[in-house]
Amino acid sequence: MSSELVQILEGNTFVVSDDRGDIEASLTDPTGLFSFDTRFLSQWVLTLDGQRLNALSTDDLHYFQTRFFLVPGTGTVYVDAKLSVIRQREVADGFHEELRILNHESKPVSLKVRIDAASDFADLFEVKDALKKKGRYETKIAGNSLVLRYMRETYCRETWISSSSPARMDQNGLSFAITIPAHGEWKTELDVVASIGSEDQPAQGVTRIRGERRVRRDMTRGLEKWIQAAPRLESDWEPLELIYRRCLTDLAALRFSPLTMPGHALPAAGLPWFMTIFGRDSIFTSLQALPFSSELAATTLLALAERQGTRIDDFRDEDPGRILHEMRYGEMTAFEERPHSPYYGNADATPLFVVLLDEYERWTGDIKLVERLEHAARAALNWIDEYADLQRNGYVSYQRRNAKTGLENQCWKDSWDSISYRNGDLPGFPRATCELQGYAYDAKMRGARLARLIWKDPAFADRLEKEAADLKRRFNRDYWVEDGQYFAVALDTDGRQVDSLTSNIGHLLWSGIVDKPKARAIARHLLGPRLFSGWGVRTLAEGEARYNPIGYHVGTVWPFDNSIIAWGLRRYGFKEEAAHIAAGILQAAEIFGGRLPEAFGGYPRSLTKYPVQYPTACSPQAWSTGAPLLLLRTALGLEPTGENLIIDPALPTWIGHLELLDLPGRWKRIDAYGRGRVDTDRLLAR
Amino acid sequence: MPKADARSASLASDPVTRFFAVLAQPGHLETFEGESATLRFEVLDGERVDRWYLTVANGDVTVARRNGPADVVVRIKRPDMEAMLTGRLNAQAALLRGLLGFDGDVAALMMFQRCLPGPPGSTGKVAPITSKTVMAERRAS
Repeated sequence: MSSELVQILEGNTFVVSDDRGDIEASLTDPTGLFSFDTRFLSQWVLTLDGQRLNALSTDDLHYFQTRFFLVPGTGTVYVDAKLSVIRQREVADGFHEELRILNHESKPVSLKVRIDAASDFADLFEVKDALKKKGRYETKIAGNSLVLRYMRETYCRETWISSSSPARMDQNGLSFAITIPAHGEWKTELDVVASIGSEDQPAQGVTRIRGERRVRRDMTRGLEKWIQAAPRLESDWEPLELIYRRCLTDLAALRFSPLTMPGHALPAAGLPWFMTIFGRDSIFTSLQALPFSSELAATTLLALAERQGTRIDDFRDEDPGRILHEMRYGEMTAFEERPHSPYYGNADATPLFVVLLDEYERWTGDIKLVERLEHAARAALNWIDEYADLQRNGYVSYQRRNAKTGLENQCWKDSWDSISYRNGDLPGFPRATCELQGYAYDAKMRGARLARLIWKDPAFADRLEKEAADLKRRFNRDYWVEDGQYFAVALDTDGRQVDSLTSNIGHLLWSGIVDKPKARAIARHLLGPRLFSGWGVRTLAEGEARYNPIGYHVGTVWPFDNSIIAWGLRRYGFKEEAAHIAAGILQAAEIFGGRLPEAFGGYPRSLTKYPVQYPTACSPQAWSTGAPLLLLRTALGLEPTGENLIIDPALPTWIGHLELLDLPGRWKRIDAYGRGRVDTDRLLAR
Repeated sequence: MPKADARSASLASDPVTRFFAVLAQPGHLETFEGESATLRFEVLDGERVDRWYLTVANGDVTVARRNGPADVVVRIKRPDMEAMLTGRLNAQAALLRGLLGFDGDVAALMMFQRCLPGPPGSTGKVAPITSKTVMAERRAS
């Protein structure tokens, strides 16, 4: 099988195939047509007279469209083709494939064209964990369609396959017996539709096929409109324009419409495996993108509010007021073998929900949405004190109640070894990581602003501010590691400091919970040799027992993390330090062709010369895509204040001139200009 | 109509009737604050269809035993409905599994599920775990 994988997608429907356009999946192999977390095609193999094809080239026309140029034969040294095959595929509710065969000879040719089709209807979780199916399969021919069906009790999923040219359908696929005239062409259009089937409505798949063409036209228009609506960027440093363009296109691909809000999009977490609502990722990406598009934030807020927790459910780690962690639609979720219906196990999305709501209002002035979400925001604020203070010590902490399939670490660093003492020991549970206290503080302060300004409840605002001040006072006392001059990453169950030095301290600046006199020491650490690699801030400092430059949360550099840190540095007036973070990450982005990975190695820059990509399954990742956008904001010092946008640039010298034109917001449209004056060469040479 | 009376008497103690009676009792639900929608539930009991018509108007709730056009019509078998209303079946899972069918506005259904109880036995509590236990578990795995 050809090794290179090709992905196209729309919403949560995506196709992963080899470079011939063929799909030959096994239970553990991640190729196929996927929709709503279910694989609807695990086999889709094209042959001519029983012979496989050979890829000449693949064109990614759009994120939802690919064209494969193929010839018969199996890839010997050279190709002497008398036929060529063009497969153009577009994703919608399944996919649409235009298959063209060109005869280059001066005599007619007769061929048997065959497509083998099958589906295992695997849940994404099953693909990941290689689990066996529990239901039964059926294949039938209904009118002009081949229908693949999977059933388990009342659960039913179907794949409808049809062709515009007459095909002979059988249990294993479609065949065409064709003759192509001399120098002629044969063409057919194939539709594959993923359907939530049921015995009562066998026609559902067919109805959806008819809607296909209109959907596709809208998709191309939608992408153009999206790019055009975004602010224009001009810079003396040319790669920046490429990075910016890449971010906008990737963000467009990551847009996901919740079922309850057709026509509105929020950022899903990553492509293709995380094309779903994630509380934390959707919120952070919306925050990063706010200066460029506020629609993502609005949809995220509404969709998360709609699914906000309302009850105690230990299986889903749900509490009243809690914002969800992850939503899934596959078979294992349906049968409650996984808790993602939705799963609520995170401790940060709830305060961050309030943070996003306030930041959204600052940019847009959309008071209506803040009024509409008053109840949800109050419930979120209530969750912080009533349900998240697990140890009744005034700090937000987390511990999963679903010990079997729940998440152990419910902060953004969610791998098992991410939170450790200096000596490498892991703390017990509950854990009160430091950034959660920062988010809670910020949520209370921002909630107070909204309460006073929009909900007209000054008493509630006073109470929130008083609680925030108290939290800040206690936090600066209890988390401060005196002998290191930074904040501990967490407090353990005994209230003891989990004392390693981590990037989390940068998030604390962003939240504003750091006492002013302590901020200088924090900034020094963030740009110091133990944390700053020359490309960015490491998740865990060099010198800690668990430090590993290619450990997921224990030494790699995360672009998303760094963008929040840069924002934090700006908040405390460290403009030049923020410019350094922007410089390192944007230079890395240039090397990665404009698309930043989720994380890259924390090796010193002088050692590897190039950033070493951490291998992850998803690319692009939403919050990595959002990182350059937020860094543009921090570099230009964009800060909405009242009805105005403050612009206070601090750019690396080598960026030269930078313009962002037509920034949308409550001021309608504004242009921002800056010129590079910060010399970043010395620190980046590290 | 003595026959209908006998039926409503026998239903008075069933979980579905009880659930809607309790829902209508306060007349206002905080979780529906700012929301308005109409829902018709068709509870299938063998050949019989029992209907409940739920009106939510800015958080105010009224329940009637009647037919009529609604934003969303929900069809579900009685045992599944009872399981859902007592927290033994998650509404989203029921929807994905095909136990619950609907016509109309899915947002209204999403709103409704907020008033459903959590699973019986969920306490919201969990015993703390020490650092020692965490380290021992890691060594074992």
